[in-house]
Amino acid sequence: MNRRQILAGSAAGIAAMATGLAAPALAQSEPIKIGYLPALTGPSSSTGIGMTRGTELAVAAINSSGGINGRPIELIIRDTQSDPTKAVNAVAELTQRQRASLIWGPLNSGEALAATPLVARNGVPMVHPCWVDELIDVKKYPMSFRNAPTNTQVGGGANHYVVDVLKLKKVAVISDTTGYGTASVNTYVPMLRAKGAEVVYSNHVDAANPDLRPELMRMRAAGAEVIMPWSVNAGFLSRILNTRGAMGWDVPVVGQTTLGSGQTRALLEKPEFWNRVYSNNFRNCCYANGQLPASAAEFVTRLKGARVEFNDTLLWWVANGWDAMFIIAEALKAAGTKAQDVVNHFQRVNRRPGVFGTISWTADQHNGFLDSEVVMCEVNSLRDGAFNLAPGY
Amino acid sequence: MLESIVSYGLAIGAVYALIGITYNVMYSASRVFSFTAGMLGMLGGVLGAVFISRLGLNAAVALVLVLACGAVIGMVTEVLTVRPVLKSIEQHLYVLSTLAFALMVQQVTAIEFGTEAQPFPVLVPIESGWLDQKFWLPLLACAVTIVGLELLYRRTLIGRAFLAIAEDSYAARALGLPETRLRLACYAIAGVIGALAGFTGAQMLLAYFGNQAILNFYGFVPVALGGMGSNRGAVVGGLALGLFQQAAAVMFGGLHAAIAVFVVFIVVLLLRPEGLAGAVSGRRV
Repeated sequence: MNRRQILAGSAAGIAAMATGLAAPALAQSEPIKIGYLPALTGPSSSTGIGMTRGTELAVAAINSSGGINGRPIELIIRDTQSDPTKAVNAVAELTQRQRASLIWGPLNSGEALAATPLVARNGVPMVHPCWVDELIDVKKYPMSFRNAPTNTQVGGGANHYVVDVLKLKKVAVISDTTGYGTASVNTYVPMLRAKGAEVVYSNHVDAANPDLRPELMRMRAAGAEVIMPWSVNAGFLSRILNTRGAMGWDVPVVGQTTLGSGQTRALLEKPEFWNRVYSNNFRNCCYANGQLPASAAEFVTRLKGARVEFNDTLLWWVANGWDAMFIIAEALKAAGTKAQDVVNHFQRVNRRPGVFGTISWTADQHNGFLDSEVVMCEVNSLRDGAFNLAPGY
Repeated sequence: MLESIVSYGLAIGAVYALIGITYNVMYSASRVFSFTAGMLGMLGGVLGAVFISRLGLNAAVALVLVLACGAVIGMVTEVLTVRPVLKSIEQHLYVLSTLAFALMVQQVTAIEFGTEAQPFPVLVPIESGWLDQKFWLPLLACAVTIVGLELLYRRTLIGRAFLAIAEDSYAARALGLPETRLRLACYAIAGVIGALAGFTGAQMLLAYFGNQAILNFYGFVPVALGGMGSNRGAVVGGLALGLFQQAAAVMFGGLHAAIAVFVVFIVVLLLRPEGLAGAVSGRRV
């Protein structure tokens, strides 16, 4: 996918929206309702805040270009407050009372696990960016589509970097005791072994444990050459990095995106403890040789022009929200608002270029992200919400 | 390994001991197990981070303010959650009232302060190792507290009045002691001790609203081990708990350490229900 194709794709998208202006004779002119379920408050809100900026910018761009066949998008936002129960209540309201044509979100797996069955039962198409593999199942949730990688792809990307790029074979895998942490370790350890790595340490540790030195000493004694932590808890991750630094143990740390978050950085005892730390990221939103890919660079220019703040968030979150809304709008434009027609359109999306990533969906596969676009980045290189690709790519 | 067990074990044990003493001071004055002890510890760390990191106050000024806040919250606890239920103490309504108040304060803290752990500033810039502040500051706070309480109880009139209401509140009131005001003062002292625990342990535990549950839980263990109402027992129990927890973490791993701690806790209580340092109390008939 080159810059010209991506730009042509974006231009075609906006032009396609604009053609709606030329059809004023359409009987329907009322807004098309899209239900949106971000967590804007609560412990999981950082993702939602970032994605909402991209989503709202896309809605504004689409509506200012004539909307969908002349009909504006009405984005009905319900803050899930990082609470699965509230996400379920919001789904009920959006699908049954508001009669939304489509649901975008929830944006966190915990909420999506609770909300997805209800969306499916109400027969409303759904797009979400949540990573838990089980959230996509064409039999159980035939109208649900993912515009982001799965947990398996994310772990696979990290494992690939450790084994194939860094050429390290003795791996320590650690997680907190949350469902996400334990599921990640249980999934990724067999994947590592299948790639020929030796998992010399594997454990789940209470994230509230203030001292992780015993765990890291056990890893070192086992001969670990790399630490792979799986947790979204910044306190837990920072303790791993602080302990590694205090021990003077210079092994790389490769793992979850939160390793590169501002919250993790704020808890480091020394800035240099962030060196040799590589977190998951996505090729289209990373700097290669100091340059963002053309689509991302153009998107950053657009964000700055629209005065959308993104230095306090991650570029890929904002880009994902932007892409999602355009994929949805293109489907509604081409297929109308009937649920099955939208689903049929989604199932024909083939290598659609986006700022965040390339999406392909079929009737049998509603996971749409390319393995090759899951990469690792250097966490200490953050600028404009994006990171440098990790060494070796 | 030994360094890790001793340094972290004693430090975290001192924090548990201080929370245990907080429980005890409130219990002695009211016969109520106020589940606000962990809340006071959590607030000590959070308020310390707010005063020093966000407002840029001097560490000493921040400490005084944190302790003052602890005292005020301790008194509010007594007025709102303990005093109204004392008349029906046998129904144990205080469990609900104190726990509800603590959870309410925790939620407000999460909303106002944020749900992510925040760093606590280094007050004494010594390079990491044995002399790191996070290791000795809780121990120093624990030593100052236990000596201060001993002096208060043994050398001052008001301290003896505290002991009198702890021993027999009816008799103390009959002798003319202002029981309500003394109880309020005890809760203020408990607030100061709880906040001190949180402040001095915050570099290790971070300033985090979620610390409340951990401190409530692990702070209760030394009270049960050391004997209810015994501050010395709480100190011994807290330090032993910290050392044992850390040793278990080193030997068995972090997840199994919690299991090991509670196995020992249950065994001790089965063998000595009154606690290791507690005396069997006679039942008034």
